[in-house]
Amino acid sequence: MQTIPIERINMNDRRFCISYPLQDDALLSSIRMEGVIQPLLILDKQPHTIVSGFKRIEAAKELGFTDIPCFVMDMDYKKAMQASIHSNLGRVLNIIEKAYCVDKLFTMDFSEEEISGVMSMISLGFYEKIIKRMRALANAENFVKDFVLQKNMTMQNVEKLLGFADHEIKDITEMLNRIHTTESMMREILQMLSIMKLKYGNIDFSAIKGMNNIYDLKRSLKYSINPILSGLEEDLSEIKNKCALPPSIDIKVDPFFEKEYIDIRIRANGPEEVKGALLKINSILDAGYIRSIFGLTTY
Amino acid sequence: MGLQPIEFVETKGDIVRNCPGTKHHICCGYKTIDLVEGCILSCSYCILKEYINTPNIKINSDIPYILSQISEAIDAEKTHILRFGTGELSDSLAIDRRYRLNQPLVEFFGETKKAILELKSKWAQIDHLTPFLNPYIVISFSLAPQRIIDKEEKRTSPLYKRLKALRKAQECGCFVGLHLDPVIIYDGFEKDYEYLIGDIGRIIDLKRVLWVSLGLLRFPPKLFNRFLDENRKNLLYGEFVRGEDGKYRYVKKERVRIYGMLYNLLKEQEKDLFIYFCMERKDIWRSVTGMTPEDNEALMGLFDSRIKTLYGGIL
Repeated sequence: MQTIPIERINMNDRRFCISYPLQDDALLSSIRMEGVIQPLLILDKQPHTIVSGFKRIEAAKELGFTDIPCFVMDMDYKKAMQASIHSNLGRVLNIIEKAYCVDKLFTMDFSEEEISGVMSMISLGFYEKIIKRMRALANAENFVKDFVLQKNMTMQNVEKLLGFADHEIKDITEMLNRIHTTESMMREILQMLSIMKLKYGNIDFSAIKGMNNIYDLKRSLKYSINPILSGLEEDLSEIKNKCALPPSIDIKVDPFFEKEYIDIRIRANGPEEVKGALLKINSILDAGYIRSIFGLTTY
Repeated sequence: MGLQPIEFVETKGDIVRNCPGTKHHICCGYKTIDLVEGCILSCSYCILKEYINTPNIKINSDIPYILSQISEAIDAEKTHILRFGTGELSDSLAIDRRYRLNQPLVEFFGETKKAILELKSKWAQIDHLTPFLNPYIVISFSLAPQRIIDKEEKRTSPLYKRLKALRKAQECGCFVGLHLDPVIIYDGFEKDYEYLIGDIGRIIDLKRVLWVSLGLLRFPPKLFNRFLDENRKNLLYGEFVRGEDGKYRYVKKERVRIYGMLYNLLKEQEKDLFIYFCMERKDIWRSVTGMTPEDNEALMGLFDSRIKTLYGGIL
């Protein structure tokens, strides 16, 4: 092991880097207190190329260190790449880091068997679809990677997101960054945006950009891609408002307006309440509201 | 074409089955003959991609066994005139000229004279069958505007060839069937279907059309994502909901409007056409046709009377 001046290490050469992001607050605190305990692995060439330790050197430089402990090794690029990956397998890799592993192995012409072996170690199946998705993610812009990590996105959603054009991805990530979403909501939103793009050729962001609430966003997208269904929902809501139903009575209509029948539910605590509910139902029947509701489901 | 491997099998078990239909919708009591499983035509919307797990085309080559199953089914049926078809798990004609699979069935139905065999296809090649055609064979084609054929049915015969083949079948003494299924909503589809129905009326003798089916596009949920991945704009242009059977269908308000439009266009061409809906709800039947078959049995009754009307006493 040697102590090497940081200026003799080429920090811009990241061909073996699979870490993302390089900023790591916990590591920074640790190095501030204890210094760099685990030496970097660097190649024996001038300037030195880092094989592993990208986060450590980043933190050390930020803390103003001028030297850093290193193991200087002489090895070819393939061995160096393998060393980089294996030295990181002791921790849980995030989806971007896994994407880097896959992309770099392909870039460096590793055999299918070698790539498949590494992918299996990082819990990825060796399938064309996964490889394509991971390589696209590895080569995406940093704001996309940050978004994917921040939202803890599944591979399926990542694939949907990367299916959009670059300028659309920017708008989508900006919009969704402001909104709290669950995984399933994200899937739904991305699907609706895909349908909108397919149907109309583009996404009209002007109508949805300012929205800060997931429900408003969903409603707006739904109105755009399902105008008939949304119209029926609005009509139903209007009729129900006119009915002024008490909480003890509910009229349920098939959410897709397919079924010909409706359900009317009464919650009652005794015969008097049943009688009251039936009187109310009779009154809305006489007013023609029930017929109007049936008009939304039968033609 | 023909890149998929062909496999000859001798399946023991039910090759003649009831068409599975779909839950909560009225179905027509069709009998399917699984002569071939898999299809080389690969239409983009085809649900076979979801049902059949192998790319191979399987041909059931034990014809005597198949004929015995058909005979059993005919003998067991006491009420209705049975309608059989080989187009459920494959296209009836796509590989038929090469393998001559339908000929023994065609001859069998001609000799038996008790039931109808429908050959349903998008592949307009019937010349090899014309010497054997008889009144108990119904040649049917699925018809769509050429714009849809170009985009979504790329390996199939063009519309004009399908219409010419139907005409030829009529000239051989057969009744024919027309299937406007799947009807797809896309920008400008109304005009295209109007022209299509006009073409049908000009080329085919509509008095010798045994039945016309209408079916708007419907598909299992898995295909939705496939259509999206493949940027199938035509297929996802309309507005879909999940039906009671779990399949995606156009929203009912649209279905009623479009069925009504097609029904009226067809009836304008020939008022006596027998038009039915494939897997539709009772209220759609009522709104569009004024008839309400209460269940599958009732629809089978409508088929019986249609067949009796056109065949007279020979069936």
